[in-house]
Order: sequence, then C-alpha cells, then structure tokens
Amino acid sequence: MNLQLTLATRYLGGRKLRTFLTTLAIVIGVMVIFGVGIYLPSFTAAFEKSLLSASGQTDVMITHKTGESFSATMLNRVKAVSGVAVIGGSLERIINLPPNFYGKNSTISALALVGIDPSVAPELHEYRITQGRFLKAGDGNVAIISERLADTLGVKLNDAIKLPTTQGVVRLQIVGLIPGRAAVSNEQVIITLAQAQKLLDAPGRVNVIEANLTTKEKTESDAIVNAIKAQLGNTYTLGGLTSGSEFLGAMQMGQIIFNLFGFLTLAMGGFIIFNTFRTIVAERRHDIGMLRAIGANRATIVGFVLTEGLVQGILGTAIGIGLGYLLGVLITTGTSAVIKNIMNIEMSPVVEPSLVIVSIVLGVGVTLFAGLLPALSASRVQPLEAIRPSLGETMQRISRVGTIIGAVMIAIALAGLLVGNFALVALGGFLFLIGLVLIAPALVKPIANWFGGLLAIIFAREGTGELAQGNLTRQPGRAAITAGATMIGLAIVVGAGGMMFSLTGTVMNMFYKSMGSDYLLVPPSIAIWKGDVGASETLKAKIASIPGVGAVNSLRYAQSSLQSAAIKGAGEAAISVLGINPVEYSKMSGMDFQQGNAPDAYNALARDERNAIVNGILAATANLKVGDLMPLATPSGEHQYRIVAIGSDVLSMKINTAYISQTNMKLDFNKSEDIFYQVNLAPGADTATADQWLNQIVADYPQFRLVIGHEYAAEFRAQYDSIFIGFYVLLGVLAFPSLIAILNTLAIGVIERTREIGMLRAIGATRGQVWRTIVAEALLLAAIGTAFGILAGLYLSYVFVEGIGATGIYKMEYVFPFAGVLAATAVGLIFGVIAALFPARQASQMEIIRALRYE
Amino acid sequence: MSLIQTENLTKVYGAGETAITALDHANLNVNAGEFVAVMGPSGCGKSTLLHLLGGLDRPTQGSVSIDGQPLAKLSDDALSQMRRRKIGFVFQFFNLIPILTSVENAALPLLLDGTSPGKAKQKASEWLTKIGLGERLKSRPDQLSAGQQQRVAIARALITDPVLVLADEPTGNLDTKSSDEIAGLLKQIAREWNRAVLMVTHDPRIAAYAECIVLMRDGKIVEDKHNG
Ligand SMILES: Nc1ncnc2c1ncn2[C@@H]1O[C@H](COP(=O)(O)OP(=O)(O)O)[C@@H](O)[C@H]1O
Ligand SMILES: [Mg+2]
Repeated sequence: MNLQLTLATRYLGGRKLRTFLTTLAIVIGVMVIFGVGIYLPSFTAAFEKSLLSASGQTDVMITHKTGESFSATMLNRVKAVSGVAVIGGSLERIINLPPNFYGKNSTISALALVGIDPSVAPELHEYRITQGRFLKAGDGNVAIISERLADTLGVKLNDAIKLPTTQGVVRLQIVGLIPGRAAVSNEQVIITLAQAQKLLDAPGRVNVIEANLTTKEKTESDAIVNAIKAQLGNTYTLGGLTSGSEFLGAMQMGQIIFNLFGFLTLAMGGFIIFNTFRTIVAERRHDIGMLRAIGANRATIVGFVLTEGLVQGILGTAIGIGLGYLLGVLITTGTSAVIKNIMNIEMSPVVEPSLVIVSIVLGVGVTLFAGLLPALSASRVQPLEAIRPSLGETMQRISRVGTIIGAVMIAIALAGLLVGNFALVALGGFLFLIGLVLIAPALVKPIANWFGGLLAIIFAREGTGELAQGNLTRQPGRAAITAGATMIGLAIVVGAGGMMFSLTGTVMNMFYKSMGSDYLLVPPSIAIWKGDVGASETLKAKIASIPGVGAVNSLRYAQSSLQSAAIKGAGEAAISVLGINPVEYSKMSGMDFQQGNAPDAYNALARDERNAIVNGILAATANLKVGDLMPLATPSGEHQYRIVAIGSDVLSMKINTAYISQTNMKLDFNKSEDIFYQVNLAPGADTATADQWLNQIVADYPQFRLVIGHEYAAEFRAQYDSIFIGFYVLLGVLAFPSLIAILNTLAIGVIERTREIGMLRAIGATRGQVWRTIVAEALLLAAIGTAFGILAGLYLSYVFVEGIGATGIYKMEYVFPFAGVLAATAVGLIFGVIAALFPARQASQMEIIRALRYE
Repeated sequence: MSLIQTENLTKVYGAGETAITALDHANLNVNAGEFVAVMGPSGCGKSTLLHLLGGLDRPTQGSVSIDGQPLAKLSDDALSQMRRRKIGFVFQFFNLIPILTSVENAALPLLLDGTSPGKAKQKASEWLTKIGLGERLKSRPDQLSAGQQQRVAIARALITDPVLVLADEPTGNLDTKSSDEIAGLLKQIAREWNRAVLMVTHDPRIAAYAECIVLMRDGKIVEDKHNG
C-alpha cells in the first residue's frame, strides 16, 4: 500500500469514533439523496404502469389525444384510405378495483376491460386460445382472460368473474383462456365491443383504432400513415392511450422540495467534514511539521489530507447508498398504503442508474471539496512547528468583509421573498443560510455574552462560565462554523416542520370545505380519475329517491388537453375536466377562489354557455386569467371555454383541472358517468333508515366506498399524520450529524489549549472545574446554533409557504411550527451536552506534566 | 570547499523594540566526516542556527550553502527535496508518527521521495538493524523506550544517505546510558559513514564525543575549537 493510503487508513482507524461520526455525516447526506431519489421514480413508474394500456403490435394505432372515446364511425374514414388492409376499433378502459374486491389476499388493484370486434380482432392480434373458445358476435357477459389472471383469481374455464361497471357489478363467464403475456400493464379482460359499450355506458363509441397496412416497406407505409392522419385531423394521435401526464406535472413541485432537502443535508455534511478536517489538521500540526522538516513538499501534504477525505468519501458514499436504498424501500412501502388508498397504485422501489452516479459524485465530491481548504491550510504548516511550540492562540480577528457579504446575502434573500418567484425564493433560502454563517462570527460575541450571563448564574462561584465564554469569543470563526452546522441541521427540522404544518393545515381546511357532506361515495382513486369506473345516471336517481336524502351532488370526469403558447415544452398540457352541477355543487361543496367569486362563477356555469372554472395550477401553467378563452380538445372537436373564475378544491389540488357544467360535458365529451357523489340528509331525517338504504344501494356498485363525511376526514387526517411521523423521524436523523460538529470543535479546543489546561490544573483547578468549563462551552455553542437554526428554519418555512402562494397555485396559510421549534430547542441543547462529554473527559483526565510539556 | 558554509548568518525575530537577534553574523564551515558539537547557554541561538542550516527557516541576513548549493535561491519544493535527500534531522522529542511502525517511520523520507514501498522498507530495516534495532522493526513508537525511539529517528535521518545530519539536543530527553549510545552512534555516522554531523547539546560529557566544539553566546559564535 502506498504511503498516502497507509497514513489515511491508520489515522482513520486510530480515531474510530470520530471517523465513524464524520463518515456518518456523509452517509446520512447520501442516504437522503439516494432514498428520496428512489421514491419519486418508484412512484412515477407505478403510476405510469397503472395507466399503461396494452399497445399492440399492429402497424397503426390511433387514439384521440384526450384519450376519450369517439364515435365508431371514425373507422370508416380510416377504412377509406388505400393501403389499409385490416382495421378494427376497440373500447379499452382501466378499471380501478376497490380494496379486497377479489378477496383479502388479492394483489390485483386494477384490470383493463377491453372490448374487441371478434370478427377482425384475430387478424390484428394473435389470440392463442389454450382452453375454451374465442369470442363471437352476439356474446353477452362472457370474457377471455389470461391463464395467469385465472390462476391469480383462482378461477377456471366456465367460472364467472365479477367486475364493477357503470351498470353495477356484472358477472362475466370465462369462455376462453390465453397464455399470460409478459406485460407490465394491467391484466386484460377481453369481451366483445358491443358488450363493452354497454357496460361502460358508451354506445356506439370506441377509443382505439388499430390497423394493419398492405405493406411493411418504410416509405410506402409512412405515406399511408400520413394519409390516415389527414383523414382524421389533428385531434387524433398515432400511438397508445396517453398516461396521466396531467398528474406528473404536479410531481415537479414535490421534486423541487425533496431536492432542496437533499442539498441542505449535503451542505450540512460538507460543513461537518470541513470542520472535522480542521480538527485533524490542528491535531496533527506537529506530525505535519515533522513531515515537512524531513522533506515532504506542500503538494504531498495536500495529498495526505485529501486521500483521507477520499477514503472517507468513498466509504461514506457506499454505506450511504446502501442505507439510502433501505430508506427508499422503507418510504415506498411505508407510504404505499396511503398511495394505494388515494390513487390505487402499487409501488415497488426503482433505482435509476443516474441516481447512483449522482449520489457517488455528490458524496465523494462534497467530501473532497470540504477537505480542500483544511488540506491547503495543512500545507502551510511550517516545518518548524514540529520542533517549536507555536506561540499559542492569538485572538482571531473577525473578517469585516465576510460580515458585509453575509448581510448582503440575507438582504437579497429577503428581497427575493418580496419578488415572489419560486425559484428565486428557493435560491433565497440558500443565500439566507450562507449569509447567516458569514455574519455569525460577528454575532458570536454578543450572543455568547448574553448566554454567558445565564451560565454565570448556573456555574456561579467557579468562574468556569466566564472561561467558557472567553474561549468561544477568542475564536469566533470556529465557533461560528460549529454553530453553523448545528444551525443548518436544526433549520432543516424547523423549516420542514413549518412547511408541513402549513401544508396540512391548508389541505385539511380545503378538505372540510369541499368534503363536508353527510355521506360520500368515493371511488378507488381520488387523484387519478382516469381509471375510476363510475355509474350511469340511474344510481344518482336511486340515491335521490331514498327517503330522508335531501340532496345529491355528483362529479363527472373527462380527459382533455389544452394548447397554449404559454405552456412550456410541447405547448400542450393534458388536463382533467370535472363536470359539476353548479346548483348542487354550490350547496354541498366549495372551492377556494383566487380570482372571481363563488356566486358569479356557479351562475356562469349554470348558464347555457361554455364557461369554466380553472384551478390555480392550470392557470399558472397556461397563464390564464378570468375572461380568457380556453380551447379545450374534446372528442367532438375543439371548443372554446370562457374562464369565469380561478379556484381549487381538495380534489383538484394537485392536477391541472377545469370545471365545466355536466350539461356541457355530456354535449362535448359525451359523458354522463358519475364518479363521485356527496349526499346530504334532509333536516330531521331518520339517519338509521337512510343509512341502511344507502348501504343497500351502494352494495351493487362496489367501485364506490360509502363513507360518512367526518369519518372520511378523520381517516384522511390520520393517513396524513402517519406520513408526517415518518417524515419527522427522517428529520431527526438529519439533525444528528450536527452532534459531530460540536464534538469536533470542542475537541480542537481541547487540543489547542492543552498547555493552558495543564497550567490551570497545575495552579489548582480541579478536574471537575475543567470538565465544567468544556461543557459550558458546548452549551454556549449549542445555544447559538439552536437560536440561529430556529431563526433560519422559520424563515425557510415562511418563504416556502409564501413562495407557493406567490406562484398563484394555492393559497396557503402560514402555520407557526411550535412543535418543530420545541423539538429543535431540545435536540440542540441535548446534543450540545452529549457532544461535550467526550472532549470534557479528555481535558479533565489530562496528565498535568505532559500537558505542560506538550510540543 | 566545505560542506556547510555560512556567511554572516543572522536571524532577527520580531521587529522594533521587541526585536530579538537570535543569531548574529555567524560564520561557520563544516566538512564532510566532521562531528561538531554546538554548546552554549539556553537562548543563545543554537537551535536557530540548526534550523537555518537545515532549511527549516529563512535567515534575516547572510547566507547558507549546503554541498555548494546556496539555500536562499531554492523554492519551497526544491528546499523540501534538499531536506529529503541531503539532510537528516534528529529532534529532542523524536517526532515519530505515532500510527506508523519503526520501519515505516524510518522509511518515510524515501517514501516521500517516491521510492517503492518495498524497497524503502527494506532499506529502513537494514538501517535499523545496523543501529541495533533489528528486533523492534514492527513496533510502534509507544511500544519503544526513549532511547529506542531516538534510534528510529536516527535511522530515519540516515536512510536517504544524506551528506549532513543535524541533531538538536538529541540526548536531552534520554537517560545517561542511552545518551552515551546515541552520542556514540552519531560519532560512528561521521567517522565510518563520512557524514557531517552537527549536534547541539548542553552536556559536556556528550560534547566530548565530537571532534570539534562550537561555543555560542548571545547569538554569536565565540569559539570554534577542535577537541584534543
Ligand atoms: N519563533 C521565535 N520568535 C521569537 N523569538 C524566538 C523564536 N524562536 C527563538 N526565539 C528567541 O531567539 C533566541 C534564541 O533561541 P534558540 O535558538 O531557540 O536558543 P537555544 O536553542 O540556544 O536555546 C531566544 O532568545 C529565543 O527566545
Ligand atoms: Mg534550543
């Protein structure tokens, strides 16, 4: 092994505790980045998979760009194009299943119902029947499924499987089995097109056209495809059904926040490493001087320190990636119950190669970067320091330039808050933290004096309080760096806590406002409507006729897309369209309006015009204002909707959404399927009877869960809280490395003051007095770090809440994170004392003679 | 030409009223194979002289040449190389790296010079054996007596075959028996291996091992006499 590595490993091995703690800082930083990095792709993958429809191996596949169904007569237009050999239309729909629909142990959360034309489908796809028969025209409730699905469900040929549809639950008899495909998408239940149109309440409609061409030759087939496109117009697209990209857009926000935390953690890790290397260099000045005396040049010394950093960086990163994987798995499984409940998707951890690379680069890079300054300062150690004791510590001067730069950074950060651009606000958060670190040295003295007064009371009669205070103010820069690491750690705790409290408060307020009815009929997913199978208008009528029911409000859903030059990237965004009955809706639910007001908006929707309310995200994405016209793509062509208000409710909180009247939805999207209901009882109604009736009626529609309004809110709250508990545990882990920072600074202090401590002991200070001096110093440091951390954390959370408000997406109310502040104070001070124990012991146990003779 | 040549070597610490002239126009010549003891009261500038000769510090005035090479002209890297290859240091408090074994400590200058670890350690073992530490090759400093630690330091000083060995109170921290052994070893280094050895000491008995004694007072060389 070469000298560099030998020295690095021996030094690291010789200080196992410190090596462990410092490496831990890197481990935790990398762990958070890696763990969080696993979560988002896992979610996205699961999400996309849940929406994936089976795309065939046909030459051409055509869908409407909204993904909605269209008239089967469109087939004739394609048929007329010369070069088309076979053509078939099908109606495909993902059906979200309610929990435990096929029994307790069933792992199936959704199926794809596929209606095909039995006369042409075999020419487009291969259906290799292994048992039973293929479908034939005139088949009713019969289906073909894969052997794998049959196995999973525990059914055989000629058995029946049940499926929720808009007509209630139907039982389909299995007439044929095909081999299971190695597909990532949902399992298919294949029935005839005619039957699918009936069960999905879409008579005469298809949503996929597939065709095979007379030629496979590239240029010729391209010409045919172009001819088909010309026939259909630009609202149709070639390719499979689109996934719910309207939702993925909303994920970006989450990603920004998560990344912010990742960077903060890493910044803290860098700080701690920096601090540790300063300790290392201080401890080894003697050894370094000797190496210089016997002929090591400066570059060699830099190399020694950096090699040590490299070893730790690689080790920490490797462990961090391992633990990060576990963390990712933990969050994924931990939140999957909630995610499944809200969105009906199953998650499993996904690791992207780029994540591994980024983690390695950041983990090792930050370590090396943080080690660079201490390495350079090590290289400036004079050979004479090996022989002659350094002249002792002198007062460190406070850099005025640093203080000014810090103050300017804080000013910029505060100014950014006023401008209200989210990116600027996030950047402002960083500037604020760095600014605090820079002005901290100037503040150490006044703060130490203030806290020192408190300590003087605690350690009265001994004078150790003053000594501790003196030690800190002698090296304000070092004290500030330590306090800085603590500060960043606690800022994360308080900041994230504040964000979370505000977010919860806002969401819960919206929730109570828009879900405040006596009963709710909730589909499997309340975020991705696409896979929800609703019910035809009969169900609403049945509910309304129950004795005691006062009012019923329902929600309808269609997919659409909006073209606008304001939309970044493709210039087009997928959006959810929710159909409401403005009269019923305004009675039982409500939105938060950012522009416009409730009476005007609902009246406008009730009029016989194309009017829409859009939510904040959509307004921000497409730069829409009240009064603007918005061209919505619909299966019956593009229609202009006028925006009458901007507002959101809890259901549309996360995705691009436009609200239109149910009348217009029927007209333009040909949809009259209800996917969500709210029910209020009449005043003085017999609750028990109504309850019984409701249960009985809903039993036929298991795709809906009948819940009592306030119970649902409580359930929602509990799920939210369970996520937050996990989140707080994570935050606690994040704050842990600040312990190392305090420990290191105190350790340097003890080393640098060895002679001084020896002298104190020689002139009669007891071990206890020395011990208390060090502990008092730690308490002071921790107090400074904690005070700054809380300040910075409050700023960060406030900035976040205001930043979101400024983007115009949600109105959020700032909730002061009392719990976070209390937790941070406790953690900060407890850590301060724990960190002091080791160096304090070392100082108090010091042999007097040796200490005096040191160096 | 002498191996060490100094001309009006002067070192002033500090400035103005508090300035201390630690070394005052010192002129000294030492030849290869010579063993010189430097003596004088505490604070008279002995260590300062040694540091300037070894290129550990720069003079305020005057010049030092080692082996015909004026040190003033050398860059930090070149000076480092000079210390590595031509000069060996022995300190009062040994200054061994606590986490390295005897062999590794002794091999340090060669390793720093880019010699392969195998070769460097072999040479270190040879030197350690030569000076009587063959049994303690794998020991760490805390497992060695003071005299043994100083021997490791001497092996480290000799390993690059330097022309000059500088020792600042090498016996200052040793008992009488070890002191005699170390002084004898330094004498052997000069006699048998033809190095120039400059040793600072307070102890006349130890100084008697040298063939030449330089006396200093208040930063000046006041006497330069050959033993017997
Ligand atoms: N780094 C320094 N700064 C100021 N004065 C110094 C320094 N090093 C040595 N001196 C002073 O220079 C004089 C000579 O010191 P030194 O060479 O160490 O003496 P010796 O080794 O003979 O005891 C002493 O007065 C000492 O106090
Ligand atoms: Mg001296």
